[in-house]
Amino acid sequence: MILAFDTELFIQRLVDGLSKGSIYALLALALVVVFRGSGQLNFAQGEMALVTTYIGSTLTLAGWPVWLTVLACAVTGFVMGGAVERFLIRPMEAKSPFAVVVVAIGLFLGFNSISAAVWGVDARDFPSLFPNQPDDFFNLLGANVRWERVGIFFVLLGIGALLYLLFTRTKIGLAMRAVANTHESAQLVGIRVGRVLVFGWGLAAAIGAVAGCLIAPSAGLSLSMMFGLFIYGSAAATLGGLDSPLGAVVAGLALGLLDSMIIGYVDIIGGDLLLTVILGLILLVLLVKPSGLFGSTRVERV
Amino acid sequence: MLEVKGLHAGYGPIEVLHGLDFTVGEGEIVVILGANGAGKTTTLRAISGTISRRGSVMFDGNDIHKASPDAVVRKGIAQVPQGRGTFTDLTVQDNLLAGAYTRKGDVKDDIDRWFGVFPRLAERREQKAGSLSGGEQQMLAIARALMSRPKLLLCDEPSLGLAPIITQELFHVLAKLNKETGTALLLVEQNANLALQIAQRAYVLETGRIAVSGDAATLLDDDAIKTAYLGI
Repeated sequence: MILAFDTELFIQRLVDGLSKGSIYALLALALVVVFRGSGQLNFAQGEMALVTTYIGSTLTLAGWPVWLTVLACAVTGFVMGGAVERFLIRPMEAKSPFAVVVVAIGLFLGFNSISAAVWGVDARDFPSLFPNQPDDFFNLLGANVRWERVGIFFVLLGIGALLYLLFTRTKIGLAMRAVANTHESAQLVGIRVGRVLVFGWGLAAAIGAVAGCLIAPSAGLSLSMMFGLFIYGSAAATLGGLDSPLGAVVAGLALGLLDSMIIGYVDIIGGDLLLTVILGLILLVLLVKPSGLFGSTRVERV
Repeated sequence: MLEVKGLHAGYGPIEVLHGLDFTVGEGEIVVILGANGAGKTTTLRAISGTISRRGSVMFDGNDIHKASPDAVVRKGIAQVPQGRGTFTDLTVQDNLLAGAYTRKGDVKDDIDRWFGVFPRLAERREQKAGSLSGGEQQMLAIARALMSRPKLLLCDEPSLGLAPIITQELFHVLAKLNKETGTALLLVEQNANLALQIAQRAYVLETGRIAVSGDAATLLDDDAIKTAYLGI
């Protein structure tokens, strides 16, 4: 048997992996932004994105241009996320922190059922932000690379860069980092912690909304679209370290690449065992480094 | 400047303060002494508004007993919380910037000013606050509170967990700040001896009530009070 390395195939798998990984990374970013602020895992993050994507599909059917639709989805997501924090999560948390988990699971089911009731169970088309005709590709070292795949990756980089600037260069970003560190001291320097939490949940849902719009064209918009993505996204958030946006991006891309390379090159694992194997690998990493790849272990000198 | 009357506060159904009366004058240093559990921290929290409270808390002529914590900061009261409460994941410089959160405009001059007063913080400006020693963190917590340009600074047990020599340095710095900036100080302390040396007046808190009050110098000289309440 001759082992020839097929560069073309490899590049295609690489691009596929980066593109899938970008979606995981965006969802992981959303989870991390919420977790940093309020210390909670928003189980409904994926389903919130599902609702906004359905709203987006209605808008595009009404003739809205795609870019405007995505923007509208992000804004809707922002309002939805902020409202969920203010009117459901916060009152519940005051009563019992465990109740918040129940609320989040309730939201997960609720948003899915609402989508089914409003938009039905049939899969829908969703237009792509990028050129997505059969011949919209360019040549990279002999491989045909679709613009749509690369576009998704660049959206991730753009959102990552914007978040970085937000966190490091703006007052609200400073407030978010302060609140992520300790609520009490944040209050004592005059930060309105409640508003910062609303903003964080809104921002997270907006990022999720963009992820939904990006994946819908290739995955097809259906009620179960976000399930698997959310599992990967939360796995990426955990692997990266739940409080690290950089970790979310790196881990999301790594999972996407792993996913695509295992499918491509390791026949034994194939499609069915894939998720199990990947979650097993994450478990191994967390055994060695419990705070995740980039998560902060709070060591304090006294 | 600060006039507290009939202050009640606590946590949920448990009342810790049962009607406190005390005042802090313009530019004054006042210390509240008391053992663990007397209600010292609760008193400061009640002023800052991080817990709910009843009674009258007049500051510069406004009743702030219903104000939210951020409104209290905007009114000119900053608190250095117990255990310092620095933002350990943020750099020293970002801690100071966060301290100026309620202010508008450029705060660089203030940062330079406090770096001048605390040169060790200047050397560590890019380090995370969590990597600082206890004494440095306490200095940072004070500098952060001063970034809001308060008229009244509340300090919750600044000596806690610090070596005696660092504590002395700290009280020296606090007294100097008070003299140079005119910022009034309300200190809460267990270390009675040092606190009484820099304070003008003192209150002794016992299980949520004020047991004794008077001039710091008088309390420091009164052997009966010292043995009964202060353990020195």
